[in-house]
Amino acid sequence: MTAVRAVLFVPEMLVVLALPPLLMSVIAKTKAWFGGRVGPPWLQPYFDLHKLIQKNAVYSKTTTWIFRAGPIISLAALLTAATLIPVLSNDSLLGFSGDIILLAYLLALGRMFTVLAAMDTGSSFEGMGASREVTFGAMSEPALFLAFVVMAVATKSLQLSEMIGPKLLPEWQIAGPAMILVVGALLVVLLTEACRVPVDDPATHLELTMIHEVMVLDHSGPEFAFITYGAALKFTLLGSILVHAAIPHPEGFNVLSPPLRVLELGGLAVLVGAIESAMARFRLNRVPMLIAGATVLSAIAVVLVLMRRTV
Amino acid sequence: MTHVLLALAVLAFGATASGLTARIFGGGLWIGLTAAGIAGALCVIGGWDALGSTTTIRISAEWPLPLGFARLAVDGLSAWFLLVIGMVSIGASIYSWGYFRNAKTHGPVGAYAPLVCTMIAAMVLVVCAADVVVFLVGWELMSLSAFFLVGFHDEDTEARRGAWTYLIATHLGTALGVLPVFAAFVARTASTAMDGFTGAFGASEVTSCVVIFALGVVGFGTKAGFMPFHVWLPAAHPVAPSPVSALMSGVVIKMGIYGLLRLLSWLPDLPIGCAIGLMTVSLLTGVMGILYALGQQQIKRMLAYSSVENIGIIGLAISVALLGRSLQQPVLVAFGLGGALLHVLNHALFKGLLFLSAGAVLHDTGTGDMERLGGLARRTPVNALAFLIGSVAICALPPLNGFVSEFAIYTGILQGVVHLPSSYAAVFASCAAVLALIGGLALVVFSKTFSVVFLGAQRDRSVSVHTTPASMNAGMVFLALGCVAVASASGAMVPAVSAALTPFGAAASGQAKTFVESLGLVTRFLPPLGVLIVVAIGLLAFRRRMPLGGAVGGMGGTWGCGYALPATTMQYTGSSYAWKVIHSFRHVIRPKRKTPSIVGCFPSQDRLVTVMADMAQERIYKPVFTGLARMFERLWPLQHGRIQLYLIYIVATVLIVFLVEGWSAPFAAHKNDGATRSAGESQLRDVQVESVVTGGSSHD
Repeated sequence: MTAVRAVLFVPEMLVVLALPPLLMSVIAKTKAWFGGRVGPPWLQPYFDLHKLIQKNAVYSKTTTWIFRAGPIISLAALLTAATLIPVLSNDSLLGFSGDIILLAYLLALGRMFTVLAAMDTGSSFEGMGASREVTFGAMSEPALFLAFVVMAVATKSLQLSEMIGPKLLPEWQIAGPAMILVVGALLVVLLTEACRVPVDDPATHLELTMIHEVMVLDHSGPEFAFITYGAALKFTLLGSILVHAAIPHPEGFNVLSPPLRVLELGGLAVLVGAIESAMARFRLNRVPMLIAGATVLSAIAVVLVLMRRTV
Repeated sequence: MTHVLLALAVLAFGATASGLTARIFGGGLWIGLTAAGIAGALCVIGGWDALGSTTTIRISAEWPLPLGFARLAVDGLSAWFLLVIGMVSIGASIYSWGYFRNAKTHGPVGAYAPLVCTMIAAMVLVVCAADVVVFLVGWELMSLSAFFLVGFHDEDTEARRGAWTYLIATHLGTALGVLPVFAAFVARTASTAMDGFTGAFGASEVTSCVVIFALGVVGFGTKAGFMPFHVWLPAAHPVAPSPVSALMSGVVIKMGIYGLLRLLSWLPDLPIGCAIGLMTVSLLTGVMGILYALGQQQIKRMLAYSSVENIGIIGLAISVALLGRSLQQPVLVAFGLGGALLHVLNHALFKGLLFLSAGAVLHDTGTGDMERLGGLARRTPVNALAFLIGSVAICALPPLNGFVSEFAIYTGILQGVVHLPSSYAAVFASCAAVLALIGGLALVVFSKTFSVVFLGAQRDRSVSVHTTPASMNAGMVFLALGCVAVASASGAMVPAVSAALTPFGAAASGQAKTFVESLGLVTRFLPPLGVLIVVAIGLLAFRRRMPLGGAVGGMGGTWGCGYALPATTMQYTGSSYAWKVIHSFRHVIRPKRKTPSIVGCFPSQDRLVTVMADMAQERIYKPVFTGLARMFERLWPLQHGRIQLYLIYIVATVLIVFLVEGWSAPFAAHKNDGATRSAGESQLRDVQVESVVTGGSSHD
């Protein structure tokens, strides 16, 4: 890594950190467009965050320090993950061989503390959400790891920025079907982990039907700002893995590449908004089927890339 | 080596002195526990020292037994396990003081300290033994002292049952697996000295090697808890006193892993089928272990099943190394064995911590039933923090130590996927997927346990909560610090692990350098972990600096979604929390569920019952042992209860032995064997022979 590149990471990280609320806005605008409404202003998520940070928090008497630590640790885990995932360029700040394992476990750390904070309130609604979150999280781990395996085999690397980097470009030409399956699996993982339709519906006000939103019912003030921002950041990070795997950019630094990535992420947000407008949430006992389907897709992709390798 | 001998001497003194003073003051508890703690510290220091040097230190001495010599040796592998034994022993000794201090002086409390000293000494003997007889003496001493410790609360039926299950399981394993393995080696080398075992069987003798390996997996796997030999763990661990559970789950079951690793260091490269076989057993152990753990309501029973799961992970790592050895891939061997050893240490630390913490819950509330507990974090904050650290570590979450070992194992598996031919890569890919599933399920189990026991509000009002004694907290803090230390010093761990792998150096066809270089990758995640901690602190500071950030807007009740009268019994229970996963895997674990049926216009009160019966217990052991019991009923006529008749039986047996000896003389060869052995003893190739010390501690 050259010194110039190291310096360039600073503006890049700033853009990456500023981007997530905007993507949420894109999803909201898309859904509003499908519904024939105008939708909230583009900058509404930023206003919301600013408002929440200014407020003070109300706590339940049942809660302990874990309730307050939960959002901080979850957001810290996601911000650390942001140093491992290439978002705008083709490389990451702190990537190393095997960083996919750390990435998966950082997501798990965030999940653990979100769930513990939810359970700390003693509310049965939040317990229900926590139970769903860990269940679907556990089930989507194999799908995520098998998708990583496919890209590791294709690029002969265990570093995320190389696995979803330019080396994937020739792979699309020779093992297109496998890559399509992987992208499908990654999309399901994204929808599960980021709690979007058809796994979870972030828009309803019926606590019984939600997963993520019901877990954070009791959070307020700056902690709720952390959670809201964390959810958007998680969507951005997992989304960029998906976007990078689906559309690998060629080697070398290109001025056009970062703006293009922003547009691609915007496109992904539009796609997610369109899915949310076009279909309803699955019944909860159908969700494991969806995730198992994603696992099977990645498993088939593994077989495809491995078979090609022997030839 | 000096440290080891000193530790054995201290333990012998502790066992004797605390036994003799048992009835005089305080049950002699103080003497025995201090001895155990000092011996633990000596083991840690001695183990760490030995890991720094490359030479194997041996001593040998004559002893009054007709078989074998008192040979002890400390090489890298022994040193690593000494470290493990020492760490958990220290934590458990400190903790035991508070645990037993309030107990009455009469009763079996006086027996506790001598038995614990004996058990630790026996484990030290097992890992330092360089002679089959010494090993077996240590092995049996360990099993027997553990048996008495498990049955410590012998007024409890469950405790007696658990102790007997353990005794039968461990002896079946020893008789059917461990003894035949050693018999094969002794027969081949005509000596009981272990240093001649390496390469005793050549790579060309495939059948013998495979049979020995399979016997080893059965024998040592019973001690370790591989499925389906695991049934004694959930029976014995929950009923033992908690510091004993910590020692058993932390170190005693690891002796099985030690035996397996030692055996592998003697055997040549095995056929690939062996590695695949062990891999299948390990994956099954891991998945089933964690699924059964999820279904448990008793906190210590859950931890016992989680130990089964972790043994599965260790077994998986060993099988990765085996496959790497068969395929001449030293990198896989390094990651597999290195990951296995690291996980042995880590699991000892965090499972010891979790068992101690569970014991504190039992001590404070008098119940281990999760569904009756809740909200303990506010009443016993130190214990809650200890359990949280243990949970985060066991779920392999960064930045604690569990992540270090699982990272090594994952890296080994993914390296296999990337660099091996397709068929093996497919095997490794499925391992990665299953290991990921195990990791996800572990998070379900431990988020459930921690939150149901420590968070929310107490579910059963009739449970009263006492405070945890300071010494119990101190024991837990020690192990928690161990978890943090291993994670932050993973750079220093790499050379230590490489030193521990020296017995495999020759057989693995790789150099020590490869090990260090490959394992050095493990420390690559330190910068991101640093970022994680810095960012967390930064966010905390940011939160404090907000205009109203430090102020609390108000304290209220939990938002009940509009319901005005929420009650603590309406909280989500552990069973409901776990039900979604259990229901998804219902075809594998077959939970039995009795749902209440609604009868009539005014249905009466009813209960919903879910039972998770262990399949191995129900389908294998119960039918087999019931059948055996029926068979042996026919021998009842021999049991008269008259001592004269029994004396006649003994005389008859002795006569038969003499007659057999007189006719066919099966033991004649043995005498010659003894003669050659004493001749060979004078020319032992010892690196360093220290003064002759009789292993007095082993006879206590």
